[in-house]
Amino acid sequence: MSNFIFLFDLDSTITKQEILPTVAGKVGMYQSMYTLTENAMSGKVPFQQSFLQRVELLKYMPVSQIRSMVAEIELNQKIIQFIRNNKERCYIVTGNLDIWIEELIENLGMEKNTYSSKALVKNDYIQEVVSVIDKNAVISQIVMPFVAIGDGNNDAEMIDAAEIGIGYGGVREISPSVLACASHIVYREETLVEFLKKLV
Amino acid sequence: MLFSRTIIISCAGMGNRLGLGTTKALVEVEGKPLIVRQLELLDKEKDIRIVVGYQAEQVVEVVRKYRQDILFVFNHNYRKTGTGASVALASKYANPYILALDGDILIHPEDIEKVLTCRTEFVSGDMIKSEEPWMIQTYQDLSGEYVSAFSKEKGNYEWNGIAQMESYKMQKGTGHVFQQIEPYLPIPFLKVRTQEIDTIFDYEHAVQWVRNGFDKEKK
Repeated sequence: MSNFIFLFDLDSTITKQEILPTVAGKVGMYQSMYTLTENAMSGKVPFQQSFLQRVELLKYMPVSQIRSMVAEIELNQKIIQFIRNNKERCYIVTGNLDIWIEELIENLGMEKNTYSSKALVKNDYIQEVVSVIDKNAVISQIVMPFVAIGDGNNDAEMIDAAEIGIGYGGVREISPSVLACASHIVYREETLVEFLKKLV
Repeated sequence: MLFSRTIIISCAGMGNRLGLGTTKALVEVEGKPLIVRQLELLDKEKDIRIVVGYQAEQVVEVVRKYRQDILFVFNHNYRKTGTGASVALASKYANPYILALDGDILIHPEDIEKVLTCRTEFVSGDMIKSEEPWMIQTYQDLSGEYVSAFSKEKGNYEWNGIAQMESYKMQKGTGHVFQQIEPYLPIPFLKVRTQEIDTIFDYEHAVQWVRNGFDKEKK
């Protein structure tokens, strides 16, 4: 048995759909959200800047409404099963906002094992974004050897720093920065999970 | 006991001697890339890892058009290391046995069955035909033929880069795959007809080999 811990990106790794474009699509703002998301994931725009712009697009919607929509996002069930089976060793590291993903994270039972961006809410609307996650800062706190799994440009540093850094391209194409540093890449959920089981 | 194996195909190298500027796994023989020809022989195998380095994205793209369930392993240091390093990287966290295949060989379709049904360690070779081969010395005893040494000077077969070994034995190394195997000799020998594609001369041979149905007369 290894002593690895497992750090999972949320969006397009655990989820089968991209969270914010899917939510935006339900209120007719898919294209603007998609463009901003693409620019961030491919590394054309810094994550923080792009994320604040994406929040700006959705801040006029009640937080509770977005939270429910996020909770209904389709998930990669085999990855979820792996996380449930190895709960104490798995963490979710996501740029998304705590207040939007709260219900999804509760459904996964990962409340204690999630690192995310944070916002203040007043009367069911976002008042301020408090912090935008820097995944590099998260991994700098981790002292155990870890496996990192993700797809986007903002996952590249944790994938690079990992003992085993896995690019997962089952939902969207793996970003060039992840391809440049990953130790492994995989395009099918079953293959990913079979490999993760060997790392436990 | 259940036999469980991971297949490792090494496709990280630059293939400089061939002079096509393409990693050898992508070189097409009769309109089909070598890596696809190998994967066609492995259709029933479930656990396949492909080691990529030079032109990784193109290799991944070609493979994904054929099948999706491959675990790709990066050898980012492909310029300075040999196939041994690629096999070592992919042998970690693998099944108890690994079957290593070089990405630059054509395997005779009739011989793949005995490779895939073998449930023990083995080292494979073919008749000597390259200009500068690494050779295999073997000896025969009552239980079969065994590999006793690898050599540049003498041997009865040419090493063709195919070997099945316990995975823990293969996790370290940066040179040739056979250097990882050497400490564990003797190992059973398996003759497998192959054509390595190292030079343009080899390439032309490979094309001929495929065109004439893999030399059916020379079994």
